Amino acid sequence: MFLTILRRELQETGANSILLSALVAMTILVPLSAYIQAGDYQRMVEDYAIRQSIHQTENSSQSIVLIRPTPPLAPFFNGAYDSLPDEFRLRNDTATTNTPSGDLTPLDWLFPKIDLSFIIGVLMTLLTILLAHYTIAGDREQGALKLILAGPIGRRTVLAAKVTGVILPTTVILIYIVFLYTIVVTVFSEGTFDLSGGNLSALAVFTLVAIIVLIVTAALGVAVSASVQRSSVSLFACASIWIVIILIWPTFGPYIASSSKPVAPPEAFQRDMASKEKELVREELAEHRKTAADLKAGQVGVEAAWRRYLELRRGWIERRNEEIGRLVNERKEHVHDQQAFARRISLFSPYVAFKEVLGSLCGTGLESYDEFLVAVEQCRQQEFIPKGLDLRSRQKPWLNAASPGDRLQLRPLQTPSPTLSKRLAAAAWPLSILIAEMIILLTLGALSFERYDVR
Amino acid sequence: MIEGTQDCKHPDNLSKGDFGGKQTMEPGRSLIWLIARKEIIANIRNFKTPVALVIMTLLLLLSAHALALDYRNRLNNWSVNRDSQRDPIVGGRVSYDLSDGSFSYGVGFSHPPPIHSPQPFSALIKGMDGEMDRSANVSQRIVIGARHGELATSALFDTPDTSFVVKLLVSLFALMFSLDAAPREKEVGTLRAMLAQPIRRRELILSKSLGASISLLAPFAVAYFVEIIYLHLAHGLLNDRQDLVCAMLIFGFVSFYGIVFAHIGLFISTITTRTRIAITTALLAWATIVLILPNASVLMAKLLTPTPSYNQLNARLRDARRRILQEEAENNSAARTVRPSRQSLPRIYEIERQETDNYLASKKDQNRRARLFASLSPAGALTFGLSDLAGTGTDAYNAYLDILGSSRDVMLDALKRSLDLSRQDADKLMQEAIETVANRQRRAEPLGADLRSSIIPITSLLAWAVLFGLAACWRFKRYDVR
Repeated sequence: MFLTILRRELQETGANSILLSALVAMTILVPLSAYIQAGDYQRMVEDYAIRQSIHQTENSSQSIVLIRPTPPLAPFFNGAYDSLPDEFRLRNDTATTNTPSGDLTPLDWLFPKIDLSFIIGVLMTLLTILLAHYTIAGDREQGALKLILAGPIGRRTVLAAKVTGVILPTTVILIYIVFLYTIVVTVFSEGTFDLSGGNLSALAVFTLVAIIVLIVTAALGVAVSASVQRSSVSLFACASIWIVIILIWPTFGPYIASSSKPVAPPEAFQRDMASKEKELVREELAEHRKTAADLKAGQVGVEAAWRRYLELRRGWIERRNEEIGRLVNERKEHVHDQQAFARRISLFSPYVAFKEVLGSLCGTGLESYDEFLVAVEQCRQQEFIPKGLDLRSRQKPWLNAASPGDRLQLRPLQTPSPTLSKRLAAAAWPLSILIAEMIILLTLGALSFERYDVR
Repeated sequence: MIEGTQDCKHPDNLSKGDFGGKQTMEPGRSLIWLIARKEIIANIRNFKTPVALVIMTLLLLLSAHALALDYRNRLNNWSVNRDSQRDPIVGGRVSYDLSDGSFSYGVGFSHPPPIHSPQPFSALIKGMDGEMDRSANVSQRIVIGARHGELATSALFDTPDTSFVVKLLVSLFALMFSLDAAPREKEVGTLRAMLAQPIRRRELILSKSLGASISLLAPFAVAYFVEIIYLHLAHGLLNDRQDLVCAMLIFGFVSFYGIVFAHIGLFISTITTRTRIAITTALLAWATIVLILPNASVLMAKLLTPTPSYNQLNARLRDARRRILQEEAENNSAARTVRPSRQSLPRIYEIERQETDNYLASKKDQNRRARLFASLSPAGALTFGLSDLAGTGTDAYNAYLDILGSSRDVMLDALKRSLDLSRQDADKLMQEAIETVANRQRRAEPLGADLRSSIIPITSLLAWAVLFGLAACWRFKRYDVR
């Protein structure tokens, strides 16, 4: 009986003009978006190589630039990657890291780029809810529901068949979209996108998470449909809820968070740091002046003076790290508080939860950026400063002879590359919210349908 | 005189033959208004208008509050940056002069690069204003600072400004008000009764359009002016006359947008026979027009106007510099190959100027083309048109790039002239150039210029409104009212 109802549902859905129009629209939009993303990704990878070659020749014991590696799945989900600094300059005369430059991307402010997350999170969820809103209320209007329930079949089985009847075709379209998108990205990224085992498994998980989002949306549509008597009311309610949770709430969430938990403007923080740095610079210069005078008065040799100077430098670098580090950490805490609040209030939207999971999965989320920042800090503390000082200690600037070069050889930046299970573990919270929403909505749908008046 | 119309031939338009002709014009006009009034009253009674009023007011107020705070924050950011420019530069050099040799140590801390002030109207329509908050260090090159990482959570989604709320809600409500013009009236049987009156079908569509537009624009007007009053009273924004005129123009622009969607709704209602199908079709059309077409047109513009990335520009500048150094080394084996000679510097400056200008020109071209393509769809026209009117759009951004370019020219000219001067005079000249550049801030364009910028989007909206209006009339002539 379940199969009979399912077959009927599938036939109805298959004959639905919505599905056909969606397929046509997707077949045009998906390759276009994937083509643009492939081109962007190719340029991103080329940029990375260009920047590496530029910085390798420019890095010195005074300053180096560390570049953020390109996430391999960026064409599928751009996430916050484009909006965050992708390189940092470390200098030995300051404890602050600064972001050298960025590209001009004004159009992104008006129209955020379309990637696979938009296609699934916005367009596919709309398609799903348009299919799901009719399942119960529509059948009641047609009188078909009475006939179905007149047979020897439980209401839960009918509901299960109806939900499956929506999820199956949307899943087929989803797989078609992911496949088409992947093919276009692979072909047009000219070898820069690597469809290796790791990325392929990540893409499979990506698709599974997308299916969960579609189930949540289908369950929402069915729950609404089972709570009202008329299909037009169901459609109105479903469309309104979809607009709020997919379009409006995710957009307002971060702004509400920033007005509820404000942090000082970035320039104010920079100014505070600059004033602290200037205070330290003054003190350091005073100590150097005093030491230089003492050494001269004590008729100390230049090599001993150089060693004393290096000791002083080391001491001041540590003090800067400590005092500026404190300010930086305070700021980070405030910003993290605000971001965590923004995510907390936005996460109930399946679209936000979906993007959060994708951020962890594709390495384009805020966690990956934080990991990069930690790696930059580690590199500064463990590599750049000790090796820079070591290189400096081997130099003899008082001799006019050529010094042994100022090139600093550092190990490549050690950014963590977590395994798929670790990435999924990082996304446990948004993923569990999605699963909880799915269970709650399915249960609500079942409860409403149990009491549904089929007349 | 009898005016022969196609309407008369339609079997369902029973009494129309008796009322064709001049004497029907007066009753026709009063009937148009009568039906429009009936629509407006029906929309109030079935709570559509009150719901639209409440939702639009709430969301516009929320948007105004969020964006006003955002503007305040950006303004504080800019004012702190401006104050920082006046902070003293701290630094110095200490010489370790020993009996058997000497070395020195120098350290310094200077100002942060300047940023441009945000536009007050960005509290209403943010447009591209956020992109101009970035620091811009102008010397012989233009170095645009990275975006602040702290805004990353909001960068994942659209900006919730008035343009966003209007783009989504005004279009949806317009469809909601106009969609049941034919199928719903047909389902409840009032369509036949109406057509039994002395009214032509196109007049009926006109009255429906009038009713839907007034039902939509009246609550929007209230919500929008509540928003403007809130911004004025609670945040001290939009104070002068030009701001108010601009706010009125924005209202006018949004009205056109609403009418386009009201006509789209009417058209859909004339091609469908059942309300549910009409709503579903309208939702799909709405998603295509509002969510897909504008983004797809920007994608097309990017595809057709590829621009180099900032890093590619840097690589080109570096290559040019390296080429000149190589030539120098080939011509003069004694020449140093790390730094260019004084004679080569003007050449390097010129190449850098040329390459950077090409880069900026390609960005501007891409922006213009994106605006042109996006303006072909109503939602794209709205986004670009409103941002142009608010002075936060493409032209304002391109003007900002022009300021950066001309500031760079000031610096380059000073650098060139300083080559022939003594060290002291050169320093003085460069200091003057730096001050000139630091004082160059972008200014709000006069209203006339903003209006000129938005001519294409306005024309596009008008064309869409007329097109769908005519299409609805044409389809309704053939509509089976039984």
